[in-house]
Amino acid sequence: MSEHKKIDAIEGKAGHPALCVLPEIEKEDEIFEIIWTLREEGTLTLEQIVQSCSIQECESIVKELARHGWIALKGQSVELLPKGEKRARELVRRHRLSLRMFYDLFALDGAEAEACKFEHILSPEVTDSVCTLLGHPPNSPDGKPIPRGECCAMFKQEMKPLVAPLADLVPGEQAKIVFITPGSHSRLDRLSAMGVVPGSIVKLHQKRPSYVIQLGETMVAVDKDITKEIFVKKV
Amino acid sequence: MHDHGSNDAERYRDSKLNKVLLIGNPNVGKSALFGLLTGKYVTVSNYPGTTVEVTYGNATLNKTRSLVIDTPGVNSLVPMSEDEKVTRDMLLTDRAGAVVQVADTKNLRRGLLITLQLAEMGVPFILDLNMDDEARSRGIMVDQDKLSQMLGIEVVKTVAIRRSGIDRLLKSIQHPRRSPAGVRYDDAMETGVRDISALLPEANISARSLALMILAGDESLKGWLHANLQDKMISKIEKIRQEVQSKFNNSLGYLINQRRLKKADEILSQVLSLHEAGKGSTIAFHIGRWSMHPIYGLPILAFVLYLVYQFVWVFGAGDAVGFLEETVFGEYLNPWATKIVTFVFPAPFIQELLIGDYGLITMALTYAIAIVLPIVGFFFIAFGILEDSGYLPRLAVMVNKVFKVMGLNGKAVLPMVLGLGCDTMATLTTRILETKKERILVTLLLALGVPCSAQLGVILGMVSGLSGLATTIWLGTIAGVMLLVGYLASKIIPGEPSDFVLELPPIRVPQLMNIFVKTLARVQWYLKEAVPLFMLGTFILFVGHKIGALAYIQNLTDPLVVGMLGLPSKAAEAFVIGFLRRDYGAAGLFMLAKGGMLDPTQIVVSLVVITLFVPCIANFFMMVKERGMKAALYMAAFIFPFAFAVGGALNWALRTLKIAL
Repeated sequence: MSEHKKIDAIEGKAGHPALCVLPEIEKEDEIFEIIWTLREEGTLTLEQIVQSCSIQECESIVKELARHGWIALKGQSVELLPKGEKRARELVRRHRLSLRMFYDLFALDGAEAEACKFEHILSPEVTDSVCTLLGHPPNSPDGKPIPRGECCAMFKQEMKPLVAPLADLVPGEQAKIVFITPGSHSRLDRLSAMGVVPGSIVKLHQKRPSYVIQLGETMVAVDKDITKEIFVKKV
Repeated sequence: MHDHGSNDAERYRDSKLNKVLLIGNPNVGKSALFGLLTGKYVTVSNYPGTTVEVTYGNATLNKTRSLVIDTPGVNSLVPMSEDEKVTRDMLLTDRAGAVVQVADTKNLRRGLLITLQLAEMGVPFILDLNMDDEARSRGIMVDQDKLSQMLGIEVVKTVAIRRSGIDRLLKSIQHPRRSPAGVRYDDAMETGVRDISALLPEANISARSLALMILAGDESLKGWLHANLQDKMISKIEKIRQEVQSKFNNSLGYLINQRRLKKADEILSQVLSLHEAGKGSTIAFHIGRWSMHPIYGLPILAFVLYLVYQFVWVFGAGDAVGFLEETVFGEYLNPWATKIVTFVFPAPFIQELLIGDYGLITMALTYAIAIVLPIVGFFFIAFGILEDSGYLPRLAVMVNKVFKVMGLNGKAVLPMVLGLGCDTMATLTTRILETKKERILVTLLLALGVPCSAQLGVILGMVSGLSGLATTIWLGTIAGVMLLVGYLASKIIPGEPSDFVLELPPIRVPQLMNIFVKTLARVQWYLKEAVPLFMLGTFILFVGHKIGALAYIQNLTDPLVVGMLGLPSKAAEAFVIGFLRRDYGAAGLFMLAKGGMLDPTQIVVSLVVITLFVPCIANFFMMVKERGMKAALYMAAFIFPFAFAVGGALNWALRTLKIAL
């Protein structure tokens, strides 16, 4: 599958998880995710929700949610109430973490579909474990922020993360680049011309006085910040 | 030099000679190969409008008179820096007879990234796998026949520094071919490439490659586009680009590189085999490692500085200057000149102008050629060796953190070290820095606190007679002031610092020929750029002396110099002269000290002031040229009073605390 299609698949048609095939009970969840995503983009209105939604009875479900005190609805304006906020946050977190896992770690083409199924069955404990396993990633593969969980704040290290920022390696360790969180574009362009792309094997040469990484026979000195954006899996 | 450089470049560009363009990643041995191919005549010139050095050399290759061009190293032909742009532009606008891509065999993956771009451009070329010995010693073997077959071009192996494989290379140069190897990008990108290609004008390289550069967001192509296309078309192209980009979350440039690397990996998997590593040059490897070790790196740095000091200031400034000044000029040239001038020009005014106290021959030329030239020349040799050995980037690794305090990163150490040779040239070199903020900061710090080699020579001479404490105070004050000013200025000057991404080439033994070529080019620059300014400076002094302006300024600054700094009033002259040439000023102080007119405290105070003082007039002109009149004036307006203030404060502190030096 081409890069282009893969990303298309992640985003869905309008940039929202539209590919999910939804059992009755999960329709609300989709609407919560849409509300969250629209709010991030700053375009949250009732009309936008209906437009982005693939469910036919969307508007009536939204009104239902308002009646049950999940959200506040006033004309076009939509607002998440505390318990709705919590639910949406957890849902989005699970969804984006699942994407990260299927897309980067398992390199699955149908990441979106798998993630859709997965997000509904993750318990809070398992969610935190997945987050830790992936090294508390800040973004999902499409660049959207993953809401932080308790595990990120406490930075639990009981479970050794499978994927970690390059900055966390011990000097001399070698690892395979799994994903790079998009920092600045020019930074990525420059590094990719030196061979820093997912799939490359990278070695952390030293941390002091500056970070030095090694790719094949190429040694590059970089800022610490950059090594925090490169996520690797030990080999 | 600048203008001269572009004339050179233009002359070569127009020449009918068969052109051979050497292209490749940085540090793959292009220059060594260049040295081998070319013989008699070598010139290093600046590419029009840039400081990037492009080396041209004549050679007779396969019985054809040829012009070999050594281009700046590139990691991508979508330029990320000025030097990469020069190389790409040469491909874009010059039609070369042959392009030789030089690749480092052990880093073939990155080499192939360029190969694939040359293939896309549709340029006829050959691939030279250089440094085959280094690859072998690391157990890396490349099947060159297979690679040649896959790329559809001739592939040769060489070890340029040992001349091995050169005959085969020469033979191959006669048969450059277009490579059919290509990369297929995502459908959306391919559509974009097709749409953009249709709008592009005829060029030396394929429309497909140009379209890909545009997609990758190549800002540097704008100039060429505007010269060759109507604005309407350009905005149409830009629209297509944005449309394609909107379909992806990562930058197109990154995705294109990723695709190319994937293709490179496919090729590598078929031609590369890994074997047990041989012994190899492990000493060089360890030196490289130690030189950027947080602890061992420091003594190595001290040792390197000591060697440079011995070479430039003890041997160069001592022995070579002594010979040139005392013997060549003192005993022969100046007496002859005096005789000839007195004979030819009976008028005393002209005699004085040429051979008087501020004479153009006796002062300016003697000074420029006998004192400064050997010091600068020896410095350039030392700098060239440091550059080619691969030590400088490791120095950048060592000092990165300190430079971060000043809003810079380790890369800025390169112009700063060059500033110890010549601040004027270093100000020009600030162009290697990526952001405007960094360029302004380094220009300021160079002007403020980095003494040039000639000035340093005199300063070291004065310091050598002082106690260790005095030297430490001088050095500590300068370093502290630089850090403080850098820190504050980085808060005031708007803009972002750039990322520290610097490739570290392996430590290697420098090639003598290469050092020779570089030093020659830099000395040439010095003679053309700096010597006329020495003359001008001396002439201004001469006029100032004649009309009494010098004495007037001296009176004017007397209260400052005597009152605030506690120096004898004659020291004012040194500061005035110091603006014309920083080292002139230092030399003036040196004479005062030698004459016993300065006590140790006065020496330290005057040294601090003259070190911080505004750079010489040549450097100031360069600041105006590079940073603009306004910025240059601001800097000067800050530095003048600031130097005096620091000197005054130091004088007060030393006297109040009664520190005996």
